[in-house]
Amino acid sequence: MTITPATAKPGDTLPTLVFGPVSRTKLALYAGASGDHNPIHIDLDFAKGAGFDDVFAHGMLSMAQLGRLVTDWAGQENVRTLSTRFTAITPVNATVTCEGSVAEIVEKDGETLLKLTLSAKVDDGTQTLKGEALVRAA
Amino acid sequence: MGIFDRSTAGQKTPPIEVTLERGAIAFFAETIGETNPIHFDVDAARAAGHPDVVAPATYPVVVGTFAGKESMRRGLPGIHAIINADFRCLLHGTESYIYHGPIHAGETVSVENEVLGFADAKGGKLEIAQVATRITHPERGLLVEAKRDIIHVLG
Repeated sequence: MTITPATAKPGDTLPTLVFGPVSRTKLALYAGASGDHNPIHIDLDFAKGAGFDDVFAHGMLSMAQLGRLVTDWAGQENVRTLSTRFTAITPVNATVTCEGSVAEIVEKDGETLLKLTLSAKVDDGTQTLKGEALVRAA
Repeated sequence: MGIFDRSTAGQKTPPIEVTLERGAIAFFAETIGETNPIHFDVDAARAAGHPDVVAPATYPVVVGTFAGKESMRRGLPGIHAIINADFRCLLHGTESYIYHGPIHAGETVSVENEVLGFADAKGGKLEIAQVATRITHPERGLLVEAKRDIIHVLG
């Protein structure tokens, strides 16, 4: 059964979202679309000069996926907060799997909100993002 | 022995106006794989009751970046220059948003960045800068408060 914010209970899970593989082309496009031109994500020469074996993905490209996970489920107008900690680098060509679950129901500013626990993982199971969101319950 | 210029704690950038462009929002939405057409199709957005395409949930970081670029065009330093960020050892630690209202294409918003402070972690191996971005609409008021930790990996 598909759960909705109106019926969700602690422990319920959101539909999983899979993104990728995150190609070099995707990183170049994200650099252009986001304005984040940090060369560590798009310039192999720069990345090697900085001591990395390769470029790696923008953390914000994965956070954008957590955003999609939450807004697809709850509707963007119902999202009150979205936050994440970046816990590991996302390698180029990784496939990012985003999961969410309902942690608890809270009352805040006269609204009933669901606190969601969010996570992004890459192919080998390494967690790359650890996130949280508050969405309106109804 | 950090790299950040810690004397900048508390410093705020002057408000910078940014006009949200429909094509730019649609390009961002398509790049992140967005499937909800309110983010890239103006007809779908209007049918859903929005005046124009709606910025996706993480677009505030882009608005902040665009404001930084506009600052630099005016000869003012962006937030990374203010805190003396070094891209060779820079990682993004955290990112958070508090949403008060939607951001639509066609709107001109005011963007203010603030250096909240600095901290050390892992016995000095990491140094952390915390910065905030506030995006305000002239009539609808504060739309989004964003905070992020930017990290230098030292040594």
